[in-house]
Amino acid sequence: MDSSEISPSPERAKTQPSIGKKIFDFLSGFHLATALLLILGLLTWLATLEQIDQGLYATLNKYFNWKSVIIVPEIKGKMVPLPLLSGYWVGAILLVNLILGGVIRIRKGWKHAGNLISHFGIIFMLIAGGVAHHFEQRGNMAIGEGEASNAAEDYFEFVVEVSEIKEGKPESIQVIRGNYLTDLNDGKSRTFPLGDVPFQIEIGGYLKNAVPVSEVERAPDRKQPIADGYYLMEKKGEVNAENNMAACYVRIVQKDGSKSPLFILAGASFHPFTYVQDGRTFTLDMRKRLWPMPFTLRLDEFTADFHPGTMKPEKFVSEVTRIENQHEAKVTIQMNEPMRYEGLTFFQASYGPPGAGPGQSMYSVFEVVKNPADQWPKYSLYIVAFGMAVTFLTKLGLYLNSSIHKSRHVP
Amino acid sequence: MSRKSFRLGRWFAALLAFSCMVALLYQLVYDNRPKGDVRTVENYTPWEPETLKIAETIPIQSGGRVKPLSTEAGFQMLELHGARAMKLIGKDGREIKIGPLEWMLDALFRPHLAVHQPTFRVDNSDALNAIGVKSRSKRDRYSYADLEKGREKLVELAQTYEPIETKKRDPVQSQIVDLAYKMRAYESLLGYFGFARFPIVLHGSGVGNEPDKTTDFSAVMATAPILREQIKKSQHAGSPLVPRLQKLLEQMLDGANFAKFGLFSIPPFEPKERIWQSAGNVIMNVMTAETGHTDQAIKIIHQLEKTARSQDISEAAFRKELAALRDDLKQRAEARGEYRFVPIEAAYYEINWFLYALVFFLLGTISAFAMWTCGRTRLGNVMAYATGGLTLLGVGYCIVAIVKRCIIMQRPPVGNLYDTIIFIATTAILFAFIVEWLTRQRFALGIAPVIGAFLIVLARRYELGDAKDHMDPLVAVLDSNYWLTTHVITITLGYSAGLLSAFLAASYILIRGLRLIDNEQAIRRGLTRAVYGTICLTLFLSLVGTVLGGIWANDSWGRFWGWDPKENGALMIVIWTLAILHARLGGIIKEWGIHLAAVFTAVIVVFSWWHVNFLGVGLHNYGFTAGKDAIWWFYGIIGLFLVYGFIAWGMDVSRKSKPRVQSSHEADEAIRIPS
Repeated sequence: MDSSEISPSPERAKTQPSIGKKIFDFLSGFHLATALLLILGLLTWLATLEQIDQGLYATLNKYFNWKSVIIVPEIKGKMVPLPLLSGYWVGAILLVNLILGGVIRIRKGWKHAGNLISHFGIIFMLIAGGVAHHFEQRGNMAIGEGEASNAAEDYFEFVVEVSEIKEGKPESIQVIRGNYLTDLNDGKSRTFPLGDVPFQIEIGGYLKNAVPVSEVERAPDRKQPIADGYYLMEKKGEVNAENNMAACYVRIVQKDGSKSPLFILAGASFHPFTYVQDGRTFTLDMRKRLWPMPFTLRLDEFTADFHPGTMKPEKFVSEVTRIENQHEAKVTIQMNEPMRYEGLTFFQASYGPPGAGPGQSMYSVFEVVKNPADQWPKYSLYIVAFGMAVTFLTKLGLYLNSSIHKSRHVP
Repeated sequence: MSRKSFRLGRWFAALLAFSCMVALLYQLVYDNRPKGDVRTVENYTPWEPETLKIAETIPIQSGGRVKPLSTEAGFQMLELHGARAMKLIGKDGREIKIGPLEWMLDALFRPHLAVHQPTFRVDNSDALNAIGVKSRSKRDRYSYADLEKGREKLVELAQTYEPIETKKRDPVQSQIVDLAYKMRAYESLLGYFGFARFPIVLHGSGVGNEPDKTTDFSAVMATAPILREQIKKSQHAGSPLVPRLQKLLEQMLDGANFAKFGLFSIPPFEPKERIWQSAGNVIMNVMTAETGHTDQAIKIIHQLEKTARSQDISEAAFRKELAALRDDLKQRAEARGEYRFVPIEAAYYEINWFLYALVFFLLGTISAFAMWTCGRTRLGNVMAYATGGLTLLGVGYCIVAIVKRCIIMQRPPVGNLYDTIIFIATTAILFAFIVEWLTRQRFALGIAPVIGAFLIVLARRYELGDAKDHMDPLVAVLDSNYWLTTHVITITLGYSAGLLSAFLAASYILIRGLRLIDNEQAIRRGLTRAVYGTICLTLFLSLVGTVLGGIWANDSWGRFWGWDPKENGALMIVIWTLAILHARLGGIIKEWGIHLAAVFTAVIVVFSWWHVNFLGVGLHNYGFTAGKDAIWWFYGIIGLFLVYGFIAWGMDVSRKSKPRVQSSHEADEAIRIPS
């Protein structure tokens, strides 16, 4: 490799380059690539340190979400006065740089074929990362031995569910997704129509982590609204963001515009709020979003093996039956051996109850992932590895060849 | 450059190298020297080698696997004593050095002597003051007898401090909790054969003035059904147990409890069972009718009794019984297919492979200095062969040891941090030999034993600090030979290449700063090529290893990338090496820049390899703390070195900006990277 790998046009070099050419040169240049790589390395290091205190989810949202453009690092609770472009946008510009410099502008020829192939592989990898970032869905499914489930639960997204209870069962469930709720704070509220339901609901005062507290036990400290003797006490975000418990204030809004007294819906509540109108019973609940699966999974047996005489895990095995359209298929899911089916992947994630004794019924927790780019990194690896191998073998061959050539000319 | 300053530079380099050598040698001697003052243990006689030979292959289960007693003894001694050797003054005033197996046999079979051995390392004497034991220096070693009078207070304080989160305990609290655990572990060894040494007294059996008769635990075990029947009858009748029966059961319970935790040396009688039993478990299982193999249980307890008691007769008698016990346990373990690697492992620990390797690397280092000093003279050539030969011998020891470890562990060579150190030492040296073969400048050749010595010292320090068996099985998620072979080895090879590039670049900066190669363009060019090549190799291995890790993570945890600190560390190596290569291609950095950047690679490699383990977050966090302080020393040294490098660079630039007197002084630009 040498510094002339990106070939400037000799004819144009003599004349003043156009603005377009200057922009192209800048975007495709080594200087930009180096700067972006250094920033990316710095971001990765800072994010690694910041996640110790802030937790992984919050750190990733800060450093690598497309919504954040400029970030200011914070280490051990202290702000570091070093504003940086966020990881998502650094990656995006790097992708542009890679395409313009590493594919279009790069010198072509068999000596550079390896580099070109590697660059293609890395572009593919970055695209895979982008696809996963925007389209991946994740959740978890906990099933007890002998039980079945056809829905996974989202890790982070809290939703409001309104169901009509008929014959003791919830029916016609209306779901208000989290993206309509998370901005409802600082006095902002929103009214939601609910299809066949004879009323609307007004939601406000959303908190991403809060717990209902009795005003008798502890008086409100920030003039929080009181609902039936309770108010929402905001808690600091959990380091493990999946442990956050969202909550909000709600009113029933009738067609004539009249509103019910305020009540609370909270992820931390054990029971939903019940409301009866015209002899019809409705429940309102705040919970993590359920993600319906295209099939049912039954846990037949779960085995947790530990290395003898220790608590060091040796093997976790879930024997499951996948039920779809009356057809059953036996599948084993264990560490390093997930079940991939219909674009969904089920991983052995956890189990319980902790310290279960022999003969005690157990449950198994699966991580459920839907990622259109699931296997793309693997394919990109093959491309990159092949390209780099070609590059290094070419260089080595040239080097050895020149050494032999030189030694032959030594008098 | 004047000849005088050239000579001064050489002397300075030699002095620096000599200082490093002395530091490494001191470390070597320090590690192998028995710690603490030499204690007198009255009437102590060392075990005969034949006895030790039998004892070392007694199979036991510990840490989730079956291993020889010698391995268990080694790590227990390391944990309690902080070293694998102890010096004593024994019978007739002779000074005796004992190793782990002797120490373990003393604790098990001669506790009256063992309690006077300075077994416990105490790093904070304030802890002893807190429990009312007279302390000596701040750090010292104490015997069980020294600590015994403060035992009650120790347990009381440990119970108070234990609920405090580990991170929030102050040093005295940590030392007290730690010492309490260590004393309990040692007591379980001291008391293990109590049931054999103190037979059961049959109260009321003495006729007239005769003392009460005694019997063995194994004999009482044979009467277990009758005893259970008696207990049942008493319970039905609602009457208390007969006092002599009550006392007999109390003695059984005490004996079984003392023998409950020390050693899990008895293979289960049921083939399906996986957990080995202690003598205490076996006694209790028979007494409570929890085993259907009463005869086998009684037989083995009887053999344990005979073994322990024969020690009072003579060592020859003891050896005979110990051999019978070993053969019985071996046969049972073999029947379960669990004895296969015990003799191999015992043999592995008979030879201190890495100590020998370290000796050869140190000799190779001395030879390398001589080689560099002599230059391309005849003596220099001899020293080059000597350096290569000694380093190859050292690396040969490492390779044999690693292969043996793989056979014993039945997995690829890298599975924990200790594995990575010895693997990196070996592979970095092999990479250095490849670089030497390609460049033939004798720099990589000379660097190889230095890296080897440095990393083997690190491995020994880590083993001492961690004091845990590094051949224990892996957790479920790591238990994949395919991924251990591909991802883990590739990423570790990336660390090797990264460290090699840093070492090579450091040597360049050192000698360039001392103006030793200002006129040696070929050497400068060769070194720069070597560093550039190893950076490329680091990138290749780290990138492939990182992506393989991502694919593994995708199969294990359901995501290709989780921003886990370990993953981030690997990514940082990839990004940093990519930045170096692109900066070089863009002409942003040249010769000096490449070397300075390559030295900084060491910081990133160490962050990824070691530091992330201490952050306490992520799926790769294994919770150990050994070597935490050393990291900051390492960063500090690299930082100082970089400062030195930048100053040297600045001086070099300043010299070149002055009118030139020698045309042979080439500018950086003249030195081209091979394309």
